[in-house]
Order: sequence, then structure tokens, then C-alpha cells
Amino acid sequence: MFTWKKKGRIFNPAEVKNRSWLQEFAQAPSVLVFDDFVRVYFSCRPPADDKGQYVSYSAFVDLNRKNLFEIIKVSDTPVLKLGALGTFDEFGTYPISVIPHQNKIRAYYAGWTRCESVPFNVAIGFAESENGGETFEKLGAGPVLSYSLEEPFVISGPKIRKYNDQWYLFYIAGRKWILDNDKPEPVYKIRMATSKDGINWIKENKDIIESRVETNEAQASPDVIFYEGKYHMFFCYRYSTDYRNNQHGYRIGYASSTDLINWVRDDSKAGIDVSETGWDAEMVSYPHVFALDGALYMFYLGNAVGKFGFGMAKMESYKS
Amino acid sequence: MEWIKKGLIFNPLQHSLPNNCKEFAQSPQTLVFDDFVRIYFSTRERDELTGKFLSHIAFVDFDKKFQHILKVSNKTVIPLGELGTFDEHGIFPVNILRHDQKIYAYTCGWSRRVSVSVETSTGLAFSDDDGITFKKAGAGPVVTASVNEPMLVGDSSVKFYDGIFHMWYIYGKKWIAANENEPPARVYKIAHAVSIDGVNWQKEEGKQIIADILNEDECQALPTVLKIGNWYHMYFCFRQATDFRKNAQRGYRLGYAWSDDLTNWLRDDSNAGIDISEQGWDSEMMCYPHIFECDGTVYLLYNGNEFGRHGFGIAELKKG
Repeated sequence: MFTWKKKGRIFNPAEVKNRSWLQEFAQAPSVLVFDDFVRVYFSCRPPADDKGQYVSYSAFVDLNRKNLFEIIKVSDTPVLKLGALGTFDEFGTYPISVIPHQNKIRAYYAGWTRCESVPFNVAIGFAESENGGETFEKLGAGPVLSYSLEEPFVISGPKIRKYNDQWYLFYIAGRKWILDNDKPEPVYKIRMATSKDGINWIKENKDIIESRVETNEAQASPDVIFYEGKYHMFFCYRYSTDYRNNQHGYRIGYASSTDLINWVRDDSKAGIDVSETGWDAEMVSYPHVFALDGALYMFYLGNAVGKFGFGMAKMESYKS
Repeated sequence: MEWIKKGLIFNPLQHSLPNNCKEFAQSPQTLVFDDFVRIYFSTRERDELTGKFLSHIAFVDFDKKFQHILKVSNKTVIPLGELGTFDEHGIFPVNILRHDQKIYAYTCGWSRRVSVSVETSTGLAFSDDDGITFKKAGAGPVVTASVNEPMLVGDSSVKFYDGIFHMWYIYGKKWIAANENEPPARVYKIAHAVSIDGVNWQKEEGKQIIADILNEDECQALPTVLKIGNWYHMYFCFRQATDFRKNAQRGYRLGYAWSDDLTNWLRDDSNAGIDISEQGWDSEMMCYPHIFECDGTVYLLYNGNEFGRHGFGIAELKKG
């Protein structure tokens, strides 16, 4: 039922000038629509340090609402500061999901710390903007959603939604670390939590999307829209090992639900796949779907999980 | 309060311990039976991979006068966590609660970090064999970092009073950056949470319940609470944030506070009724207190010099 026509790459971080913290990657796009422009938040990185390790920042690019290929502005600074020594978000704020609330804009983001036995751990933080989403101030130095009995690590990939006066946070939780040639690789699954205030969360504590390609399938970017009486989720998934290539790399999956809790997965309805050649020929991942001016668009990442930026597809036969 | 010191009662070097542990018997915690007292403690194995320590839980059974050792645990009491989990690199300390036919273990799990040495969270395990072994309630923690308690949640101690589970624990306020003499140093404070089931906890979220007496960077650890008559008594240990390992003037001492409502605590170290000895095993430091009642007498277990490298001792509350 969804058929997407690819429109090409929208943003390539390599073309940005004079921002030392924005050199590579434009990951996990999500939009905030303004009167004249569409602000696309994404996460980016300065070059790796001498040990090959990255930090990640979140930033935005403003696109002309009437021509999404026209870049109006790139944020002058990251929208969030990295955390202080020993905090959960000391080494990265990636990805970020925003939503207007009253006179402010709320941001939910994944904070990254570095560990000894595995490369990282992740928990979800909360921040608010009072300047139209240019910068955000954290509610506190710690996370709003973190590890728990059944979700022991890697709480990441938040997508915030509000339906019927209830807050919904779709995210991923680590299930286990597996060793692939002695290198730890995380397996994570799509999860959900609900809240009355967007700050205190009740976890659903279940995998809401069944695994398809293997038990250790990793799932990410659970992006939900309401359309024609149902909830639709686009997400991405990959194999657990050797996934930095075409065969085992990320693809975009699809599921639908009438109650936001019980989801039926049917990837055949996702309507988008890798291209034969080019920037999205190896993988497609981190979908974000949004309606704008009578059309439905998907922003998504291509090869190397967004190292070369994000592109856009437009749904054919959309009924607004 | 007035205590009569009875001396060192357990020296780990005189026993064969499970998990290749040799030195250290830290943070003694009791489970009282009809005809003996089981004292759990944390002891250490040298991690061959890194040369760092791994803390494990072990126990020793004493007669009820603490004169004779009946048994020392000879197998793993609570296994360390799997790759990437919060208690992968140690469990220290543990607090045991017998309630409604069940035996609860509240653990402090350690996992190593890169920019700072460690992060901790509180885990939960249950025993079906009178406390000889415990099974974890899940792979993740029950209490961990949150918005206003950004790091280092641990040292949990739980009591059931008037139909509610009460937890006293510590949370990190910050890490002080390294200097030429020391690695990054942590600052932590005592806090309180409540629960109706002992599993799901409600924090007071960043509320320090025991006043500082040294300075704002005072480190407070290991709260232990006992109700005697109508009063709740808390012992804990406290120290300066830096230069505390070898400088006896800045090392751990026991602190004391009391409450009649479990909400407001009055710190009153001058009434602790116990201090370091002039010489011997507890002449430079006193730490990791545990108060408990056994056959009508109140006892205090604690560690002395070098954080319990040489074992633990006991004192008896003078009746009056």
C-alpha cells in the first residue's frame, strides 16, 4: 500500500563548511515544520580521534518548505552540549527526536558513554528549547529513560509521539552483546513506553515488532505516523553480524497497528529498498516519515548508515 | 548510642574463598537464622585480562555469639553479569532482606567505564535455598541513574516498615576531574526511595537526606538503618572526596543520624558512640557499617583500615 518514489539525496555533510564538529555523517533525520521552512534534525560527527573513536552531536538543516532540495541554513552550533565527566551523554547525543509542547520544543535524545568491555552504553535524555529549537537545555544531568530489569543496556533511538493526550516513546533496548570475531556487537529490539507528562515513563517491557531475518535481528528507528485510521511504523533492521555491507546491512521494514501496542509486521508493504547503484545501494535505514502540504515524504539514510547524508522519497497516491 | 568494640572477627586471608578471591572482606551484611548468623561480604579476584579487581559476594556463618566460624561459602553466591551488563565487573556490596518467606538481595553492580573508572546501579536477586545462592530478577538493574541522580547509584539497603519497602542508597552528584596525583574522583550522597513490592521503586529524585559536615564534596556511603523502640537510627560512612586512600585524616569515618518519621533525618555524629581505635586494624579508617539485631542485642559490623582488605570486626550496643 505504500509505494515510494526516490527523489535523491537532500543533504551531504561533506559539503558543509566551517563547522569542525560537522564533518561526517548526517544520521537519523527527523523534522519540525515551520511556516516557511522544514527543520531537519540529524546527528553528525567531527573526524574520529587518534584512537579511531567518534563523538556525535545533533544539529539541524533548514530546507525551503516549497523546495526541500534548497538548503536555507545549517545550525551554527550543535543543538545540545555533551554531558560532563562521567555522565550518560559524555560522548554523544544521537539520535534526537523533537516535538512542540506548549510554548517550548521538547527533545528526546540518546546519550552515549564509553565502556571498557563493550564499546558503549546508551540511555535516553530529555531537553527543552525556548528558542524555536535552535538549542536545547537538559532537564538534568541524568537520563529520563535508562536501564532496567528487562532492558539491561543500550536504551537508544527515541522517537517521541503524542496521541490522544498520551505520550508515546518508541525506542530500542539492547538484548545482548554478541562477539563477532571477538568484537562485541549489540542486538537491540524495538520497544515502547507511555507517559502522562512525557517525563515519567512506564515501559511496556515487550518487543513490539517480531524479529524476521534471525533471532538476533537488530531493529532501529521506529518511526510512527497515523494515516487512514491506522498507525503505521517504518523502521530498519539488520543481521546481527557482518552487517556493514549489502547482504546483511540495514533495510526498511513496516508494521501497522490500531492501538499502538499490538503491531503486525509486513515488510512487503514498506515499499522501498536499496538502489542498484549510488549512495543508497548498500543499505537503506533510519526512516522518518512526515506529511507536508498534501504529500507524504520519507527521509532515510543510505550507505554506511548515513556517513554520506540523507535522502528523500515521496509516497505515490497519498491521500491527505 | 554507646558501642563496645569486640574486635576483628573475620580475616579473609585465613580462609579459602570461592571465585579465586583472596584479600578483602568488605561491607559485611547479615541474614539471621534460628541458630546461626550468615554474614555476606564482598571479596576480590584479580581480573587476569586487565589486572583490575572483580568483586564477588561470599559469606561466612557464625554462631550467634560471633565466637565461632561454622562455615565459609565454597561456591558462587551471585554470579557476575554477562558482557555489557551493569554488574559485569563486580558486585559490592549486597544487602539481604528476609520478608514474607522470601530472601531478597539488593546488589550494587559495577561496570567499568573509559573516562571514569566505573558506573554502578542497584540490582535485585532472590534465593530459594536459604541464601546459599541467588537468582537475579533480570539482567538489568532495579534502580539506576535518573534525571537528577546522574550516576553511581548503589549501596542500597532495604527495610520493610509499616507496609512499605524503604531503600536507602547513594547516588553520584559529579566526578571531579583528574589531577596530577589522582584519577577522577567521585562525589556521592545518601538518598531514599520507597516501594510497595520491593521491585518497582519511587525515588525522591536528587534529594540528599543526610547533611554534609565536611564540605559540599563530602562523600557519604553505605547507609544502614535500624528501628530501636520508636526511633530510626542510621549509620553510614563518609570521607573527603580526594586523597582519602592513604591519608588517614581524610579517610572514612562512621557518621550517625536519627529520625522519628523516616522523612527527616538529623545528623548527629557526636552521638555515633564509636570512633577509630588508637592502634590496630581500625585505627586509620572505619567504613561500611551494618547494624542489626540478634537475640535481643544490637550489633554493628564494619570494616577498618584499607577499606576492609584485612576483614571486618564487630561492636555491641551497650544496653541502657
